[in-house]
Amino acid sequence: MAEHILEVSNLVKRYGDFTAVEGISFGVDPTEIFGILGPNGAGKTTTLECIETLRPIDSGSVTVNGLDVRRQRQEVKRIIGVQLQSSSFFDKLSLVELLVLFGSLYGRRVDPVKLLGEVELQDKARSQVGELSGGQKQRFSIAAALVNDPVVLFLDEPTTGLDPQARRHLWGVIKRIRSEGKTIVLTTHYMDEAEELCDRVAIMDGGKIIALAPPREMIARLVAGGFTKERVERLANLEDVFLSLTGHVLRED
Amino acid sequence: MKVKWMLTIASIKMFFRQREAIIWTVLFPLFIVILFGFVKFDGMGRVHLGIVNEAGEPGGRLVETIRGVRSFELVEGTREGELAELGKGERDLVLIVPAGYTPMSAVTLTAYADVEAKPREAQIGSLVLQRVLDEATLSAAPQAARALVKTEGVKTRNLTYMDFLLPGVLSMSIMQMGIFGVAFSFVSLKKRGILRRLWVTPINPNDFIVAQVAMRLLVLVVQMSVMIGVGMMFLNLHFIGNLALIYLLGLLGAIVFLGVGFALAGISKSEDQVAPLANVISLPMMALSGIFFSRSNLPGFLRTVTDYFPLTYLADGIRSVAIDGATLTQVAPQIGGLAVWAVVSCAIAVKLFRWE
Repeated sequence: MAEHILEVSNLVKRYGDFTAVEGISFGVDPTEIFGILGPNGAGKTTTLECIETLRPIDSGSVTVNGLDVRRQRQEVKRIIGVQLQSSSFFDKLSLVELLVLFGSLYGRRVDPVKLLGEVELQDKARSQVGELSGGQKQRFSIAAALVNDPVVLFLDEPTTGLDPQARRHLWGVIKRIRSEGKTIVLTTHYMDEAEELCDRVAIMDGGKIIALAPPREMIARLVAGGFTKERVERLANLEDVFLSLTGHVLRED
Repeated sequence: MKVKWMLTIASIKMFFRQREAIIWTVLFPLFIVILFGFVKFDGMGRVHLGIVNEAGEPGGRLVETIRGVRSFELVEGTREGELAELGKGERDLVLIVPAGYTPMSAVTLTAYADVEAKPREAQIGSLVLQRVLDEATLSAAPQAARALVKTEGVKTRNLTYMDFLLPGVLSMSIMQMGIFGVAFSFVSLKKRGILRRLWVTPINPNDFIVAQVAMRLLVLVVQMSVMIGVGMMFLNLHFIGNLALIYLLGLLGAIVFLGVGFALAGISKSEDQVAPLANVISLPMMALSGIFFSRSNLPGFLRTVTDYFPLTYLADGIRSVAIDGATLTQVAPQIGGLAVWAVVSCAIAVKLFRWE
């Protein structure tokens, strides 16, 4: 079995008296899309921030590609890409200027137009972030996270607030990035997203991981445990109506 | 109608639930009124008279009589000192009481004034002085011949309010850039998560600060150059000083106020928090550092306290160099004052600055 590219071991994070993350452990395989699900306040974002070096770890260990997050922070920063939940970028710079600037922070020369092409924003190269729609901003955020050709990409609620077309489109982008050899760790509240994208999912609640398995396996276990649902044979749902009426093509303004 | 009422009530609640609202709408204006109540604005309409007493005791009595005259703002001094102040525009009129003056002697007293630049003050001043002298003669020796006041025209540099104002306003804008510019922009970057996004990269946070400071110092140079340039070309600024010295003062001043800006950015979480703090520091200085009116109108204690304001050092320094052609040694006190403030403000900034 291949080495885990991300290894979290007994991670603990406290804010004063409150323990946000209570000793969780998991490993992520290379080129896996790994999802962390949970209600608000479960500790998903805190966990991610600890791995991303944004928050100091109280105890436990986190290694990314063999590098210790606590002791080798700068090196870890060089090989990860991060899309933050409420990501903002400098106002008066164009997308290209921003990508070039961020590239320089890694000591890299980037091809900004190619990067924008990966998320299908090449037409907006000269625009500023403020001029983009919600979906476009999320896509740009991902492009910015790819600037250093990272080994692991962290996405915090990547499709929150997007319309159905934009969500599906972003799923396609994420799958394509993975097929290029990157590992992706994402958090989400959307079950359909987790089912669609994730190879394995960790369900967090109250600072702990309460289940970790591929989605299909979890569902099978639930059913095997005697769970039944009222089966209404639905050949289609409202989202199908919506998409058939408004089409799959991205609506950009 | 009910809707308007409900909205009004909700708005009132929202407004007064901010603690700062009470302070800024009620307490601060009151404070300003009280503060300004101390400033002698009526001093502005008077004639600034300098008196040089070379006549011992009889002269002294004359000086006291003149001191009681309401139209005069009186300063007593030496011949060289007072004439120098006249040259700088700090006096409208300088009266020399010559040795040997008594109320009974028919001597001529000379009053120096720039009759071309300040004809009104020269005329009023000499008329009033003549009257005072006549009354002194009359009460001492009714039969004696009068002492006369002779006005002698003096060429001063005809400095205007613009020469006073421009260096002051330039200093004030350096302060605004440092305090408001930095504080607001950093707090805004902090709040919008832009800084956070930077911290996942390998960037050294100090590099970011250095870049921002460098940018602002560049803006400073542009600001100063434009103001002095436009002042000289279009606004009759009588600029005679050493430009390099002015840039040096500006630079020191900028460092002081940038430090304040960073300190404020460190302790504030939002623009709403930063604004009152920035105001409480900058408004008293804007009002009392001799930007819009000379500090000679301030009462003693206020004058002493404001002597030590960083903006006072900056404005006085730039003004002395630009308008009076002061040299490095002459503005050494201002440079020293600014240097001390620069050290203090940077120390505080380092202590208080926070990225989150």
